[in-house]
Amino acid sequence: MTYVVGENCIRCKLTDCVEVCPVDCFYEGPNFLVIDPDECIDCDLCVPECPVDAIYAEDDLPTDQAEFLELNAELAEIWPNISEQKDPLPDFEKWDGVAGKREFLER
Amino acid sequence: MTTKEKYQPTPKAQAFLDSVENGKYKRQIITGIKKFLDGKVEGGIESLYSESELQALKALKGTPQDVEARMPVKITRHYYELAKNSLPLQTLVKASPKETGNLEGSADPGKQMDYSPVEGLIHKYELGLIYVALTCSAHCRFCYREELIAKKDVERPDGTIAPKGLAQIGELTDYIRQHNEQVAQNGGRHPDTGREKLREILMSGGDPMVLGNKNIAAWWSALADAGIESIRIGTKELAFYPDRFDATFFDMLDKFHAAYPKISIRFMVHFNHPDEFLKRDEEGRYIEDPRGGLEWIESTSKAMRQLGSREWVTMDNQAPIIKGINDDSDALRIMQRELRRNRVENHYFFCGRDIIGYKAFNVPIERVWHILNESQKGLSGIEAHARLSITHYKGKTEVAAVSNQPLAGIPGTENGFVVLKLLRGAEDAPDRGKITIVGRNPDAIWFDGYNDRVIYDEAGLFADVGEEAPGAEIQTATGGT
Repeated sequence: MTYVVGENCIRCKLTDCVEVCPVDCFYEGPNFLVIDPDECIDCDLCVPECPVDAIYAEDDLPTDQAEFLELNAELAEIWPNISEQKDPLPDFEKWDGVAGKREFLER
Repeated sequence: MTTKEKYQPTPKAQAFLDSVENGKYKRQIITGIKKFLDGKVEGGIESLYSESELQALKALKGTPQDVEARMPVKITRHYYELAKNSLPLQTLVKASPKETGNLEGSADPGKQMDYSPVEGLIHKYELGLIYVALTCSAHCRFCYREELIAKKDVERPDGTIAPKGLAQIGELTDYIRQHNEQVAQNGGRHPDTGREKLREILMSGGDPMVLGNKNIAAWWSALADAGIESIRIGTKELAFYPDRFDATFFDMLDKFHAAYPKISIRFMVHFNHPDEFLKRDEEGRYIEDPRGGLEWIESTSKAMRQLGSREWVTMDNQAPIIKGINDDSDALRIMQRELRRNRVENHYFFCGRDIIGYKAFNVPIERVWHILNESQKGLSGIEAHARLSITHYKGKTEVAAVSNQPLAGIPGTENGFVVLKLLRGAEDAPDRGKITIVGRNPDAIWFDGYNDRVIYDEAGLFADVGEEAPGAEIQTATGGT
């Protein structure tokens, strides 16, 4: 591991990352995406692709988002795989950059 | 990378793609020295670097000698298990300050970027090489695609920046169709280059085997539908993570063959050293298999048996000979013998290219020839097919012979001579088969080491020496002789 989807994905869920992932290691929840740490091959393609800059290399993950490392691993085990781009959540523009979205994460 | 218009598979391809499943893999990759420094590496892999080695690498961070700016560190659990008791394999994956002690070299040694008509495609020879992945499961320190893997820009001689992104299926298959149409309309030869139709594509990167089955299947079916007859996959995954060749992969492979029975799949495998595939006892010796040959690591052997049992699949090995890894005749002899016995043709060994930092990796050309020649003594004829190649910008060049004898009466050959032979050439290979003879220089690690002792140059390998042309540029890049 690898890469981690961070807080800013919540309630946005743009899926540009999914389209470029060469190993299809994204998993989809109701309002958030995660990366399976075992499957990620550290290719870095998804980072520049995310329109809301929500993806980090593990080493670059901001300390206040440290919990997302574990969260990605945990939810990737439960959620279904997503490999094709779809429409973002309707209010993604409104939620981009909003602080404290962690509490809105739906499982 | 921008989102391009999505390629629409043919109905036949779509039916095949709908039947493909992706596998689940646990490569357990460790990326970056930082992880080792932070004590976040466990399960034994942390022992790969000593504390003093880590501190030496840390001290270079942010300086021009930063080894990870040259090539990020990356290793799989499988390769660690192989490397933990093998110095050659450790040399292959472990970063060392030596790599950046001398940063001379070329960002694009084969001048490949002069032959890139669309992003992610190099069409230099008769076949096309495409970049389909930006990474491998682990990183060889000597990688000559470091500019791609480490994501650097490559500047062409004319000052433009070469597109070094990944190939896109739609754009690439458009190019193939267009090229082959022009060839057909011109009586079988391309009007500009004289090439025949594009029949073969080499998928490279990076390693195509890091891609999921669905991705690989999408490439194969699109290439086949565009008229490609043979698809090569350049991969080191049999060494880095052989479990990638799992049931889901072979299921995809067989379904592809059922849908496209006339397409041959050619695996260009990359083993540098027998420690990458042979079992060893507690003293580190290879183990005789009472049934014949030596004992193989089970996961590697299983993958190769399954690849080898399909008659439309071939396997060829090619590898550079690198200082401290496989500049060892005995290791190379065992490797060539065991690979051939297990359905792998020994295709090429290479002299290291003049990449950035190449002086840390390259063995002198004449020494490499000697090592390979010694390794082939005692091999049967069919085990000793591999030729030694050094990649001139004109094309792959065989180091055919090194003689210690002077050529009677010819100055410059007092200490012997070297015979080079052009094996391939750009476009329609006009100079294939031509030779060049140079006086010996036991220290030469690149062509420029012979600039002052060219005896005979039918192949034109030194035609540009002294001019402001590509040859002169190699001289500059390597500091001249």
